[in-house]
Amino acid sequence: MKARQLIKLVFINIYHNKFRSLLTTLGVIVGTATIFLVVAIGAGGEAQVNQQYSKLNVGTIMVTSATRGKVKDPLTKKDAERFTESAHVASAFPVVNGSGTMKYGNYGNKGSFFGIVPEYQEANHLSVQIGRLLEDDDESKHNRFAVLGSDFANTYTDGNPDEIVGKSIEINSRTFEVVGLLNRVGDSGSFMSYDDSVFLPMSVAEKYLLGNRSNPNITVVAKDLNSVSSAIEDIKSILDETHRLGGSDQFRIVDAGSRLASAQSTAKTMSMLLLSVAVVVLIVSGIGIMNVMFVTVKERTKEIGTLKAIGATRSEILSQFLGEAVVISFVGGILGSIIGYGMVPVLSYFELAALPTLNGLMLGLLFSVVTGVFFGFYPAWKAADLNPIEALRYE
Amino acid sequence: MFSLENKKRIIDAHNIIKEYQTGTELLRVLDDVTITVMENEFTAILGPSGSGKSTLMNVLGCLDRPTSGTYFLDGVDVLQANEKQLAHMRNQKIGFVFQKFNLLPRLTAIQNVMLPLLYRGIDEADAFERAKEKLVLLGLENRLKHRPNELSGGQQQRVAIARAIVGDPPLLLADEPTGNLDSKSSLDAIKIFQDLHHQGNTILVITHDRDVAEKLQKVVFIRDGRLYEN
Repeated sequence: MKARQLIKLVFINIYHNKFRSLLTTLGVIVGTATIFLVVAIGAGGEAQVNQQYSKLNVGTIMVTSATRGKVKDPLTKKDAERFTESAHVASAFPVVNGSGTMKYGNYGNKGSFFGIVPEYQEANHLSVQIGRLLEDDDESKHNRFAVLGSDFANTYTDGNPDEIVGKSIEINSRTFEVVGLLNRVGDSGSFMSYDDSVFLPMSVAEKYLLGNRSNPNITVVAKDLNSVSSAIEDIKSILDETHRLGGSDQFRIVDAGSRLASAQSTAKTMSMLLLSVAVVVLIVSGIGIMNVMFVTVKERTKEIGTLKAIGATRSEILSQFLGEAVVISFVGGILGSIIGYGMVPVLSYFELAALPTLNGLMLGLLFSVVTGVFFGFYPAWKAADLNPIEALRYE
Repeated sequence: MFSLENKKRIIDAHNIIKEYQTGTELLRVLDDVTITVMENEFTAILGPSGSGKSTLMNVLGCLDRPTSGTYFLDGVDVLQANEKQLAHMRNQKIGFVFQKFNLLPRLTAIQNVMLPLLYRGIDEADAFERAKEKLVLLGLENRLKHRPNELSGGQQQRVAIARAIVGDPPLLLADEPTGNLDSKSSLDAIKIFQDLHHQGNTILVITHDRDVAEKLQKVVFIRDGRLYEN
C-alpha cells in the first residue's frame, strides 16, 4: 500500500473515534505543554541570570574581610596598589561602604553609601544620565560631592529625580553636593543595590562618615578570564605577606565568574528538575496511549483478520496501528505546544520569567512523537502478529 | 470447447493433512484431502459443521498451513511461500467472500472495494475507477459513498463480492456466502455467482446448505476431514 493511502486510512480511523482519540491526547497535551513551558522557564531564568550579571565583569574578583564591621587588620589602599603589581591583574581599587541616615528636603531615611575611587565607576559600568561621575580631583581634594543611584534619587525627590542634581543631601548630618545622577543598573548581583545607593569619593567617606570603622573591600579586575585563578593565587600570597597577623585566611576572595557559573547552574538544575516532571507526565500519557491502542486492536480484531485475508502484510498492519498512535500523540504535541505558548503570558503575570524557544517546541514535539512510537509499538506489533484465522473468527 | 487438458489447474492440492494438538490429544481435522479445481469450475464443498470445511477453506485460502501435503495455487507452490508472500498471494490470487461480509465499517462501499487494489500498490485514482466499475456491474452505482451500516444485507454482500472480484483473482473463495441473507437475497447472491461463473471466473463455495450446493456445477462432500465426490 502506498504511504498516502495508509495515512488516509489512519486518519479515517482516528476521525471515527474522535472523542476517544481526544481523551487519549490529553496526557500528551499536558506533557508537551509542560516540556514547552519548562524549557521556556529555563531559558527565561538563564536570560535573567545573564542579564543580571551582564553589568558584572566576569574577570572581577572581590576581596573582602571575612568579618564585617570594625576589624583589626583591614584591607588598605596600599593592598590595592600591591595587587596591581601582579602580572595577572589589570586593575585593583578599594571600596568602602556604610550606612547612615540620609536626608533631602523633608524626606529622610536609612540608606547605604559607597566610598569609591573613580575607576570603580568604570569597572562597574556606571554611567550618568545627568551631571557627571566622580573624578580623580574629587578624591584628592576631598570634595564633598555625591553621585546618586536612580532609585535613591527617585525615592528622595518623590518622583522628580532630575531636580536633585546641584542640590545638597545630608548623610548623618553632613552635607554633600549632588553632582550626578546615575542610569539604572538593575541587580548587580552583589549585596547592595547600586540603584539605591549614594556614591562618594572614598577619602571623603572615610574622613567624614566612617572614621576608624573604615573596612575597605578591594575590587580586582583580572587581565582576562583565563588569568582569574592565577590572579587569585597572587592576591593570596600578597595578603599572606602584608597581613602577617592572620594571612589571607582572614579575607574572602570571590570571583564573579564562579558566581555567575553557580547562578547559571542553579537555573539549569531547576530546569532539569521540571523537565523530568514533564517526562514523567509524558510516560504516563504514553501508558494511556498504549492502553487505548490495546483496546482498539482488540475491538478491531476481526477487521485485522479481514485486512490480512485481502492481502495486508504484517508490516502494513503494523504501520497502520503505529501510525494511529503516532498521529494521536503528534496532534497532542502540537496542541500542547500551542497551549504552552499561550501560558507564557500567564507565567509572566506571576513574575516567572518564561522565554518561548524553538528548542522547547522541537523538544516537546520530539517527545510526543517518541511517546507515540514507543508506546504504540507493542499494541501495533500485537495487531500485526494476529493469526488471521483466529482474528476472522473473533466476535 | 476447450479440452480438459488445456485448462489450467487453479487449485491443485494433494494429500493435505492438518492436525491440531488439543491438550494431550492429536486431532486430525483434514485427513488426506486431495482436491483439484480447474479454471472456470464452479464447485461447492458441502459439509456439516465440524466436518473440517472451514479448515479446508483456510488452507486453500492461504490463511493456514497444512501439517503435510502439497498445494499449488494457480501454479505457485503455496507451502514454500513465506508469510509476506502468502499475503501477496491472498491479495492477488484469491477473492474472499465471507459469511458476514466483513466490510470495514468506517469505510464507504467504494473504499472497501478499493482496498485490495490499494494493498497491491495501485494508485488511488486507478483503484477508484476499477472499484466503481465492479460496483456498477453489481447494481450499486447509487451506493458508492454509503457506509456498510447504511446498506441492506444483500447490498453489503454485493459490496463484499465486488471487493472479492475487483482485483480479477484467479480464484473466488466464498465461505457460506448466503448464511447471513434472507432467501431472496440468497437467490440474488447465487445468481451473481452464476453470472461470474459464466464470465469465466473460477469459484469455490463452502457451505452446509444443500439447496445452495445443488445450484452449483459440481459438489464435493466433506465429512470428518475426508472428501468424497458424490
